[in-house]
Amino acid sequence: MSSELVPPGLTYLADNIATHQNILGVGKAQGARWAQGLDLPSQAETVFFAGCGYQYSAQLERLTSLARNVDKSIIGAELPMRFARFQKKLGLNLPGIYSSVLSGSNESGAEPLKAAVKVLRRLDIEPGYLAENEPCCGAPLHHAGFQKKFAENARQAYQQLKSAGVRRVIGIVPYCTHALARLFPLYVDGYDLEVRHFLEVVAEKLPSHKLRFPRKVKVTYHDPCQLVRYLSVIEEPRRILNSIENIELVETDWTRGAWATCCGGGGGFETVFPALSQVLAVNRVNELMETGADVIVTHCPGCVMQLKDGLRQLKIKGVEVLDLAQVIDLSMEK
Amino acid sequence: MKKSTDFKSYKKEIMGAARNERLRLALSRAVDSFRNNVKNALEKFPHTADLAEEVLKIKEKAVPEMENLARKAIASVEENRGKGYIAGTAEEALKIIEDITGTGKLIVKGKSMTGEEIGLREYLEEKGNEVYETDLGEFIIQKLGDRPMHILSPAIHVPREDVARLFTEVMGHEIAPNAEITDMVAAAREYLRDKFFRADIGISGANVVAAETGTLFIIENEGNIRLATGAPPVHIALVGMEKLVPTLNEAYKVSEVTWRYANYTVPSYVNLVSGPSKTGDIEKVTTYGVHGPREFHVIFLDGGRTKLAEYPKLRQALYCLRCGGCLYECPVFAVTAGHFGDKYFTGIGAVWAAIVNNDPEKAAAVAYTCLTCGRCRERCPVKIDVPEMIIELRKLLAEGEKD
Repeated sequence: MSSELVPPGLTYLADNIATHQNILGVGKAQGARWAQGLDLPSQAETVFFAGCGYQYSAQLERLTSLARNVDKSIIGAELPMRFARFQKKLGLNLPGIYSSVLSGSNESGAEPLKAAVKVLRRLDIEPGYLAENEPCCGAPLHHAGFQKKFAENARQAYQQLKSAGVRRVIGIVPYCTHALARLFPLYVDGYDLEVRHFLEVVAEKLPSHKLRFPRKVKVTYHDPCQLVRYLSVIEEPRRILNSIENIELVETDWTRGAWATCCGGGGGFETVFPALSQVLAVNRVNELMETGADVIVTHCPGCVMQLKDGLRQLKIKGVEVLDLAQVIDLSMEK
Repeated sequence: MKKSTDFKSYKKEIMGAARNERLRLALSRAVDSFRNNVKNALEKFPHTADLAEEVLKIKEKAVPEMENLARKAIASVEENRGKGYIAGTAEEALKIIEDITGTGKLIVKGKSMTGEEIGLREYLEEKGNEVYETDLGEFIIQKLGDRPMHILSPAIHVPREDVARLFTEVMGHEIAPNAEITDMVAAAREYLRDKFFRADIGISGANVVAAETGTLFIIENEGNIRLATGAPPVHIALVGMEKLVPTLNEAYKVSEVTWRYANYTVPSYVNLVSGPSKTGDIEKVTTYGVHGPREFHVIFLDGGRTKLAEYPKLRQALYCLRCGGCLYECPVFAVTAGHFGDKYFTGIGAVWAAIVNNDPEKAAAVAYTCLTCGRCRERCPVKIDVPEMIIELRKLLAEGEKD
């Protein structure tokens, strides 16, 4: 995949999907580590689809931060360049860096996945998880413009899911869920998987549970683009947040729901325009901070990363970014 | 068409814009005021949303028919004693206009994105004419030697202090940096006043055209278009072919939706022009060119539009009313203004760059700057799905035209 017109950041992600079935080109086992100790069945009719975003969150964060530093220091002079060249030039060994990121930190960014599984279990849903055998949804191929590759990947992914006996998928990463639910049917004949988003499943089952966040907090909610404008999941996160004791939901005047502002990390944008993407993250955090919230809740690994970076850039202390899956998990009676 | 900037310099340009605090300040003020105005306008006239749905249907029917509509409109205009033309390409349009204007003329111009698209002002100047932009924003841009940064507010990125400095230079008398905006406006009025009346030719665009009567609907607030299309003896209108609809009634609906989503309850002026000025007051003998123009020329520009109409997923770009609402919703535009774009701005601009302007490099640069976040689609009165077009365009760029 090397159309000269496609920015290198996107061809990098696309090449990795083609070769490794994940956006970073690392081993699948690395991604599946979050599920260790959860004893999720590797075969089931209903599976939890973890996707790349959370699984490789720490690595992605590292990659983006590297790209941002390079982008800032030699803006306009050296970019765009192919990421492979970019690695060589800097003497970087990205897979090595990814591994060291993993071993060096307690926070892998994959916590929301663990939280989501715990939440589903408390709602009496026992999903399977395909781990190393989970196919990549290939959404970045779609976004880069490689439709043929995307279609091919979709058919393979579908076959892989089918041969594992899967009938229903609970997705969590907005991009993956959108791809599986809305894009796959366009390319796969007789597509018959039932795909729902984690929040839809939870919102339906939640009323019978008492929810209490461990401390009193003012929460604002950031709608991920794919969730709100592509999958129309608008009301569910609000219903969930409003039902949690100790949480006061405070929202921006205008930029919420269908009008939410993008965090600046859409569709691989952060790899093509690392510095501009950061400017957009800062702008979004500024909008959210007008609510006076002390917790920003969102539900997308890209948004989490962007908003955390926005807070860092603005040197805002005492405000944290949490994924909604973690908030629900923390709020369920132990 | 020329192959414009490569990706590197494009990226440098938009990052430069994104780091410009003054630009961002100017934009954030504009976004706030736009949102409030459009909210008020839509609340005051709540039927607008239904009307917008009707307009989408009108456009869906009219766009595939635009060549026929252009022929029909030309017949109507000529019945009214004007002249109509179809220009297949930008070059043809420039040639037609040049044949009318000749050289050494004084020309006053209303703002026209289509004029911008074909480089009309520059071309006429090159041919030895003196051309004045009369829309205040466009006038500022012309005098700055800059390019427009928004389709309706071309000088959206220029703070008032910079306008004062510019006007001091242009008008030859001091306008203090802290002068009132009214004083700046008055200075422009004074400067341009006699140009309207001395001009040999007035040029305008049009927001929508009714084919059945050949009537141009030109929406404005400043009054410069009334003067530019009314005072000189010749009026030339350059109109993109996609602006045609069959009937006056439909044209009115398109106009109302356009101005409402452009954040006006009602604009100060809607000019309806169907032919040259005429009188029959002396012995019932029809005589042309009374107080208004004696000659009226309308050029309908194809320039790639019929080609664009053949792409099922990209055709919707031709439904655009140019209300400019989407620009205020774009998070990238909010920090870069028109640097994110080509002749037309933001994601939809990539489609025009690719198909109408035939510039794949520029189209790719713009297409990959789109977040595909989709907020523009929420704002758009005719529900243009920019993300869908962007994905389709990226496919064409990455995989080539053929399936």
